[in-house]
Amino acid sequence: MTENAGARQPDRRPAPRGIPAARDALFAAVAGLWARLMAELSAERRTAAETALQSLRRYPLRTGLTLLGLAFGVAALMATISLGRGAQTAIGQQVRAAGLNVIEISAGNYRTRGERPIGGVEAPARHGRVVPPGVLERLWQRVEPVALAHPENDPMEKHDHPTAAERLGDSAAGLGAAATLTRDDAEAIARLDGVAHAASGVHESVRAFAGDRRWFTRLHGTDIDLVEIRRSFSLRHGRFFSARELRRASQVAVLGSVARDRLFGPEVDPVGETITIWNQPFEVIGVVVSTNWMNPGAPGDDEFDAIYTPFTTVHRLLNVTNLNSITVTAASSGEVTQVADRITELLRERHGIGDAQADDFTVSTQASAVLSKGLHPKVAETLAGNIPNLERTTLRQLAATLERSSRTMSALLLSIALVSLLVGAIGISNVMLLSVRERIREIGLRMAVGAKTTDVGGQFLAESVLVGAAGGLLGVVLGTIAAFVIEGSFGLAVDISFAAALIAFLVALLTGIIAGVSPARRAARFDPIVALGSE
Amino acid sequence: MTHAPTNSHPAIEARELTKTYVLSEDHRVEALRGLSIQVGLGEFLSVLGPSGSGKSTLMHILGCLDQPTAGEYRLMGRDVSRLRDDERARIRNEEIGFVFQSFHLLARASALENVELPMLYGAKRPGRAERREQAADALDAVGLSDRATHAPSQLSGGQQQRVAIARALANRPRLLLADEPTGNLDTSTGREILETFARLNEERGLTVIMITHDRQVARYAHRSVELRDGKIVHDSANS
Repeated sequence: MTENAGARQPDRRPAPRGIPAARDALFAAVAGLWARLMAELSAERRTAAETALQSLRRYPLRTGLTLLGLAFGVAALMATISLGRGAQTAIGQQVRAAGLNVIEISAGNYRTRGERPIGGVEAPARHGRVVPPGVLERLWQRVEPVALAHPENDPMEKHDHPTAAERLGDSAAGLGAAATLTRDDAEAIARLDGVAHAASGVHESVRAFAGDRRWFTRLHGTDIDLVEIRRSFSLRHGRFFSARELRRASQVAVLGSVARDRLFGPEVDPVGETITIWNQPFEVIGVVVSTNWMNPGAPGDDEFDAIYTPFTTVHRLLNVTNLNSITVTAASSGEVTQVADRITELLRERHGIGDAQADDFTVSTQASAVLSKGLHPKVAETLAGNIPNLERTTLRQLAATLERSSRTMSALLLSIALVSLLVGAIGISNVMLLSVRERIREIGLRMAVGAKTTDVGGQFLAESVLVGAAGGLLGVVLGTIAAFVIEGSFGLAVDISFAAALIAFLVALLTGIIAGVSPARRAARFDPIVALGSE
Repeated sequence: MTHAPTNSHPAIEARELTKTYVLSEDHRVEALRGLSIQVGLGEFLSVLGPSGSGKSTLMHILGCLDQPTAGEYRLMGRDVSRLRDDERARIRNEEIGFVFQSFHLLARASALENVELPMLYGAKRPGRAERREQAADALDAVGLSDRATHAPSQLSGGQQQRVAIARALANRPRLLLADEPTGNLDTSTGREILETFARLNEERGLTVIMITHDRQVARYAHRSVELRDGKIVHDSANS
């Protein structure tokens, strides 16, 4: 023993680096765990575990192949769970990113109460692109437009993208608005039950200049809450403006990715540069990009072809005090209609609107926009009355559809994983049974020198369990790698969780236990005389 | 050992042992027919007989691998003829060392690991270090301490059988049962093995029972019994 230890001292070898070092560390960790496990076990279990480990090490090829078979099954299982969870999370994010809990309050009432709730004027011809990216988002936002004069429609101005009026309808674009909304309204709304965020908004179409480049885009004077409301926002560079900058009405600008592309070029970090709007310098402090695959950002999309600045700055520069819009998010998407009703009530009261008078503002939810799209006014009107119910159904259906498709994929992958796991389990069982047969003489000998039936059975069970555990560990590692590879090369959302790893490992362990029972019973039942005499 | 070292009883005391194998309803084989034998502690006994004489059956019963159909068998003063499987496993582990004709070594384990085997299954189950030390001692006793790390395939037949003897000695039993220990060996190697038995018998007071069909081999023992048709037909001391 001491001789061996002396001979194995690694002091003469160069210190291992990289993979060998990691491998040595891993082995040391496993050995440490093993020692602790052994200390916990009863003498008999320890014998079983020790003899099992010895036997497994004596047949490395067989052990390795069995282990690998199981590991692939576990890896598939693990990757499946990760993919399924990833898809689920992604769906939740997409639904939220699509803004289904967003309520938009615009100043002015472009549809008279009780009559023609949705404008009846034909939409102007749309621009050439058939299905531009972000089409779903846009469909939700498209309210039948009312033709109005607007600087963007100036025939002297050249555009290479659809104008806001064409895209969104003037009202949704914040045009033709009356000066009816105020900052106090926004603050009162923010205090309502069920309201998560409320952002004041002043919207203008502007020409922005950066050096010799210019771009006609939307300027959104807004609130710091907007980043919370727009779930699809991701700050690629820099930051959003701060509460302090909002208070001071600082001339700072956060560029949408499209505006950034046009003013500075793609992939450029413009933070610290200056752009000019209304002959005023604005410092670029950030760039927002979309995280939503349904709306990746395209010219003219109002969200990423846009520049964001504090609404106080717009107020100061234009010398106005009104708001064009207030954007609100409901705390839960099931409550959107109730919250919208509460807002309507509050604003009517605040604006002193009598029962017989029409609202001087418009509250619209994304669901109502979807539902009333392209319908005959009468039908739309009827529908609008049922929106609270329909909205819930729509939301639910959308989520359900997305979930159904992800579940179909999950089920498919899961069945593949289970089949490969089953194959792995049959593999272990088979190899163990063969191993029992092949080692009958060994079993006989062990019995002759005093192994009890439980010792022999325990050894074979422990072999199977060890293969299960090792296969499980290897599978978890492989599965994690596989999940990352899938994420990287197919762009699918993957959510690798400790729970998934634990489940996959426990399944492998269970497989090992179940697969080992029958071989262990066979081994334990041998008559030592018969076993010793067999050839 | 769990027993107090007393010499008041013989190592083996078997009375009227019978063993009947029921092959089918009307076909029975009587391997032992009322065999009685007594072997004192420290004796070196050989059991002679042609094949089919019942000597293997006797060896299995004496080695607690099997139970007699009828009769009484006391090993080291204890009645072991009606014990449960696990109790017999315990007796085999503590009291008996086996040496087989075909060695029965684990092919993929080293000599040392082979010798350690009985210690894995004892009542007290010593730790690795202790096992290793005790196994090294046993290998030393058969003169193979320099082959401890060799696999059986790297050893000669005689060396393999000596590893098997070391294994039989590992738990320091009082009885050594050898079944045709020289059957797979050439004459000179066989002689070495037999001399090892004689030496262990003499130096350690080990009781040795050796089963053989070879009178030359039987002569190494102090006493020979001859079996025929499940009965002892001859019992004599060797000169």
